[in-house]
Amino acid sequence: MSENRGDSMSVIAKVWVEPDCITCNACEDICPEVFKVTDDSSMILAEVRADGTFDMNDGAKSPLTGTLGADLADLIVEAAEACPVEVIKFELVESAAAEAAPAAETVEAAPAAVEAAVAPAAGVSDALAAVMGGDRSLTVMFGSQTGNAAGLAEQTAKMAADFGLQAKVVDMDEADTSALSAGRLLIITSTWGEGEMPDNAESLWQATNTANPALAGTHFSVCAIGDTSYDEFCKAGVDWNDKLAALGATVVRDIQLCDVDYAPPWKLWVVDALSRIACVDASGNFHETLVEEMLAYGTSSDDDGIVDGDFAPASVVADEMSITLRLFRYDPVGASSGFDSVACALPGHATLQNLLEAVQGDLDGSLAFRRGDGNGTPTTALRANGRIVLADVARLDGLVSDGGTLLLEPLPGLPVIRDLVVDTSRLERQRAEAKPWMRADPRAGERLSNGSTMGTMAAGDATDLHRRFDAVSDLAAHGMSDSTPHDGAYLGPGLLTRLWQRASDPRCGADQRRDLMKVLQQEGGMWSETDLSSIRRQGDDGRIVAEAMLDARGRLLHEFRFAGRSGRHVKWFSRTVKWSGNLNETILAAQTMGPLGALMNLPATVRMATGFTRTGGPLARDLQGFLAPGKMPKLVNSVVDDHHEVKAIFDALDRRF
Amino acid sequence: MPALRYAYFPGCVAKGSAREVEDAMRAVVKALDIELVEMPGAACCGAGVMKQANHKLQLTLNARTFAQAEAMGLDVLTPCATCQGNMYEDLALLLSDEKLRAEINDVLERTCGMRFEGELRMRHLLQVVVEDVGLDTLRDRVVNPIDFPVAGYYGVPMLQDGASGDDDPMNPRYFDDLLAAMGSTSVAYDGATRSVGFPGLLGRERTAMLQTAEVLSEAKEEGALVMATACPLSHFNLDVYQVKAKKVSGRDTSLPVVHLPELMAFSLGLLTDRYAQLRTRALVMGA
Repeated sequence: MSENRGDSMSVIAKVWVEPDCITCNACEDICPEVFKVTDDSSMILAEVRADGTFDMNDGAKSPLTGTLGADLADLIVEAAEACPVEVIKFELVESAAAEAAPAAETVEAAPAAVEAAVAPAAGVSDALAAVMGGDRSLTVMFGSQTGNAAGLAEQTAKMAADFGLQAKVVDMDEADTSALSAGRLLIITSTWGEGEMPDNAESLWQATNTANPALAGTHFSVCAIGDTSYDEFCKAGVDWNDKLAALGATVVRDIQLCDVDYAPPWKLWVVDALSRIACVDASGNFHETLVEEMLAYGTSSDDDGIVDGDFAPASVVADEMSITLRLFRYDPVGASSGFDSVACALPGHATLQNLLEAVQGDLDGSLAFRRGDGNGTPTTALRANGRIVLADVARLDGLVSDGGTLLLEPLPGLPVIRDLVVDTSRLERQRAEAKPWMRADPRAGERLSNGSTMGTMAAGDATDLHRRFDAVSDLAAHGMSDSTPHDGAYLGPGLLTRLWQRASDPRCGADQRRDLMKVLQQEGGMWSETDLSSIRRQGDDGRIVAEAMLDARGRLLHEFRFAGRSGRHVKWFSRTVKWSGNLNETILAAQTMGPLGALMNLPATVRMATGFTRTGGPLARDLQGFLAPGKMPKLVNSVVDDHHEVKAIFDALDRRF
Repeated sequence: MPALRYAYFPGCVAKGSAREVEDAMRAVVKALDIELVEMPGAACCGAGVMKQANHKLQLTLNARTFAQAEAMGLDVLTPCATCQGNMYEDLALLLSDEKLRAEINDVLERTCGMRFEGELRMRHLLQVVVEDVGLDTLRDRVVNPIDFPVAGYYGVPMLQDGASGDDDPMNPRYFDDLLAAMGSTSVAYDGATRSVGFPGLLGRERTAMLQTAEVLSEAKEEGALVMATACPLSHFNLDVYQVKAKKVSGRDTSLPVVHLPELMAFSLGLLTDRYAQLRTRALVMGA
């Protein structure tokens, strides 16, 4: 099986560890090929370095040998992101500039929509000024699996203002085919799996192929990200390029194909594509003779044409709030934990990440938390006043009132490394073992040029899958359960939902589906959750996850014929309700636990039957029920009035009971 | 005639093994001038268990109960947080999905000759006392103030948007306010809004026991002498399985646990012999 991870990171030239490592072992757990944690600090292994030395490599900054920088790039970046004190640094091959972990460098992220109208500066020709009049809207659409294409789309939108364009970033997942009729359209998309669309692009792609809208008024260009080590290099981008052209849209700049080191070719494309698409006037005419002047105009304001996040979020601005922050702290060195209380004043529209950055910057530089890119980064998940939220998007005024207290705690159900940083390595291991990705086993679908088959999915199915499973993040879902902290074998709602999504995907082959259903049914699977209500109460995302789990349980009960204790529990609960209209707890307990289980549970049963811990427990009545369940329904399990109606409903809807 | 009337849905546990809920409810509503109208034909709400096998089956059974209350022109009152959460959820779904409602009504009409239109609300005792009766009224009628610290336990199914009335489901206050009105010191502890895993009690007992132990021990560590629960199903875990929870977790779980209607009855000067039992147990088992 191969994964054409078009969104993967650049090649890493050097990696080193700066002072203040807390020796938490996270880096070594993630990338033991490069990192070795000693008693004092994490070190870079001698065998991966050109100088063959074993130390932190923070002085010599010796390069990585051979192809390790490419082979291990993702793991090194993941280790840097996981480092709670951010001492792991690396340098990309082409950038020649030391960078912190990507999570840190994307703090000043762009909002989803950019509404920065730019009037033409003085000095432009009359012809260019004329082109820059009227409607200057630009749609920058992205298809992204891991977020890299989304990030490029945002940067593209930022730069568009320099070319006098008003750009709007559109997630393909949220677009319908009418969005393709935008007069000016730039598409940035990665390729996933074996030349497949990223998940968020699948629905729109199917809809476009079904509707085949006329796009004669659209001018466009595509930037495709892929990996040349796979057969179907940049196939998703190429497909979009060909499809739009076939539907009558005009290419203003040839498609740009980007390899794993996508930044340099994207930079070439973005300046070129913007200077050309900006020469499309409000009437839809492309003025090619003005491209050079537009290029000079658009790139005159900065050195490389790349603008970093330097404008305010396009969100509603709220008044300043005064709150008391109660912040969970954990020091791994002393193994001590507690809460800090801090009086804070921030605008209501500030995010939790803004708040944490302010605390870290102004009060305590040792505070550890994970940063995101401002667009809902899964790893920023934490618990805020009982709610599981993503810190880089959750606003203060949505969590606490002015004058109130905000309690911030790490995500439940995972070990804490430091402060708000949790160790996700166990979850990642479980994910790897459960294999939630699409397997290339024989399945129905289209045959590719290389002879392999690619699963296909109707647009309606794709939309339905997204609707049923479009929750915030697997990691956040994991933290929503009250069971996960008490059951180490439990895979958790996030991963299980992902497995159920894959099993529900019509592109999933029969062998893989059988394996997935087995994982869902077995120990650690869907029945390990003791209470779906604890998940459901976590807002819209909680409801989506709980509904998906409920759906999966229904399917498991059917396919595994009410097997196991949990299956018997549902079956006998329903049966006793059918028999009398009421639940009979005694029959339910006896049938679910079985004779041996009931014997083992005798102390609790006696305690329940006698009611001796309770005030006024009906001893005689309960004893009768215990000794002869079902014999005296009027005493322990009275039949509801018009019971025949209850029975008729069962008979009409479900005869399994 | 009492101004407040509700269709009464006690829930299966109150009708079965925990009859003390019923006893206390009858006494409390009388003292607070509430009239409960019986629903002898109402079936089990499914408790979120039945819908795992067949959600439409559970929806139809609950729609039948709703139709019965609707025929009386009354909202439904229940003392059970699981019934409240589960039935509120089904009611909201039926009201928001017209197509589904039509489908369920079709089955209801064929099997029972009735229809459900949605002209009612699901209410829990806690909400009715705070929102309808009023805490001032309750405070005025307290005869025996609860003069020891009590930890309130809500029952997670009720802690959802809408199902908890006007209370904040993530940071609820109603129980604290109610306890204060009864003269008690409310114990603040994290477990008040956490699940004790009742739905998994028979299938995933060890996990449920660890969850139960955590809630009980936290309440005790924060100084509670008694716990009162708004969920008779959670009461199973918190009371009946208390010893097992201690054995599995190794934590101190010994704490008297009563139902919310019982504690209210005690404060209103009712069931005094049982109140005496509770005070004795609190002295023996408590802090």
